[in-house]
Amino acid sequence: MNASVLERHAGALGVALFLLIWELGARLVWRDPSTLPSPSQSLADAWSVLTFAELAGHVGISLWRILAGFAIAAVAGVVLGLACGWFRLLGMILGPAIELLRPIPPLAWIPIAIVWFGLGEPSKVFVIALGAFFPVFTNAHRGLVMVPPVLFGAARTMDVAGWRLLWRVAAPAALPDIAVGLRVGFGLAFGVLVAAELIAADSGMGYLIMEARQIGHLGIAIFGIVLIGVVNLLLDRQLGAIISRTVGRWAKI
Amino acid sequence: MPAARFRQIAPTLLPLASFALFLAAWELAVAYGLLRPLLFPPPSRLLASAVELVVDGVPRGKTLADHLLVTLMRIGGGFLAAVTLALPIGLLIGSRPVLDRMMQPIVAFCRSVATLSLLPLALVWFGIGEASKIFLIGYGCFWVMVSNVIAAVKLVDPLLLRAARTMDTPRRQIFTAVVLPAALPRIAAGARIALGVGFMVIVGAEMIGTTTGLGALIMEARTFYRTDVTFVGMIAIGLLGVAIAAGLTRLERVLMPWIAFDWEAAR
Repeated sequence: MNASVLERHAGALGVALFLLIWELGARLVWRDPSTLPSPSQSLADAWSVLTFAELAGHVGISLWRILAGFAIAAVAGVVLGLACGWFRLLGMILGPAIELLRPIPPLAWIPIAIVWFGLGEPSKVFVIALGAFFPVFTNAHRGLVMVPPVLFGAARTMDVAGWRLLWRVAAPAALPDIAVGLRVGFGLAFGVLVAAELIAADSGMGYLIMEARQIGHLGIAIFGIVLIGVVNLLLDRQLGAIISRTVGRWAKI
Repeated sequence: MPAARFRQIAPTLLPLASFALFLAAWELAVAYGLLRPLLFPPPSRLLASAVELVVDGVPRGKTLADHLLVTLMRIGGGFLAAVTLALPIGLLIGSRPVLDRMMQPIVAFCRSVATLSLLPLALVWFGIGEASKIFLIGYGCFWVMVSNVIAAVKLVDPLLLRAARTMDTPRRQIFTAVVLPAALPRIAAGARIALGVGFMVIVGAEMIGTTTGLGALIMEARTFYRTDVTFVGMIAIGLLGVAIAAGLTRLERVLMPWIAFDWEAAR
């Protein structure tokens, strides 16, 4: 009985232990909240300085940026990936060109994005979209190329050809791969979002923690870091749930 | 040219030809004023800047090799620290189911914390010097590495363990002779992913509070309206990434020649 209770709540116990050690260590051993605030001190700090509207504003703008960038990347990646797999000539030309750009980390595009689009929203959305684009493209491309030829053969015997073959047979068969690409791409886009907001922004969750440091409230920075982690986890779970509800019906992911 | 022959060389010829065409169009578009050279420095300019960067350096005296070395030292330092810590910790957690269950939410959460968001903390704890960059890279690499080591130990084929137990193998020997070799390929895959993460983190980390390193180079070049240098720096970063990945593959083949692991699938 005892063992099973322990096993079921082991995760919660681990988190509680971790927080307790941090709380006690910060309060009793380190004793300097300006360099290492405890969890409760961080929470109190955030509670007393941040207003709810301010916080909601930062989270809201971050969410808008990542959704806009991710949407662009998803559409561009899926369309280009499928097109490169469907039209062999296009794949031969565009495929290597995209492979050439891939090794450049998305964050390295930040300076150029600022030169091209200025310091406003478009430059952030551009870099976020770049971060998500490559995995989506590669997976869509590979997914389409790897569709079992037997499916095409079966479709042809039923006189399915041209666009209908792409839309009704090839694309659904590539969808599990596309879903994997979308999920990986989303994770990358989130990392890029925070970096872009740290380096060049005056709003958003990344900016919140950078500003917290400048005004000397490390507790708010810790609050913001945890907030970013929680938002990331929730969005990733949500995306996973959507994928398994849709694609999961005919493919195991 | 016979059609069959064309089909054979098309996959190499077409990309090269279209790439050359693309560069030529870019060069001409700038020459005829269709593209602004500050926004899109032409290929000829990039070549000149690359030579300048290698010979004289930008800013003067800091050549490409200097920037490269600084970046490599930071990645190497953070990565090695992370691997050294993650190996024993991951092996311990992976081989103790209770510990694994307790740590699961913490590992999952720490992995989903955006590494660069720790930058403000790193600056307060370690200052703006090397230590804060190495800390950030170390953090990013550590959690990726630790979760891969845990998974590697947990996913060892139970048949191997049972077979070893039926032969009355002592616990210690099961660990060193069965678990460790069986987990090694996945651990190596984790190390590779971790290095990729470190590579991503360093570019961002170098954009704040430093003037050396490839990330700083491209950011600084922008503020001095040297977009051409930014482009060259980006290409250098991309090449470095390719070189690191290729080097790692070679190293793995030398260190673990008995494993034919499918890297594409592991990504």
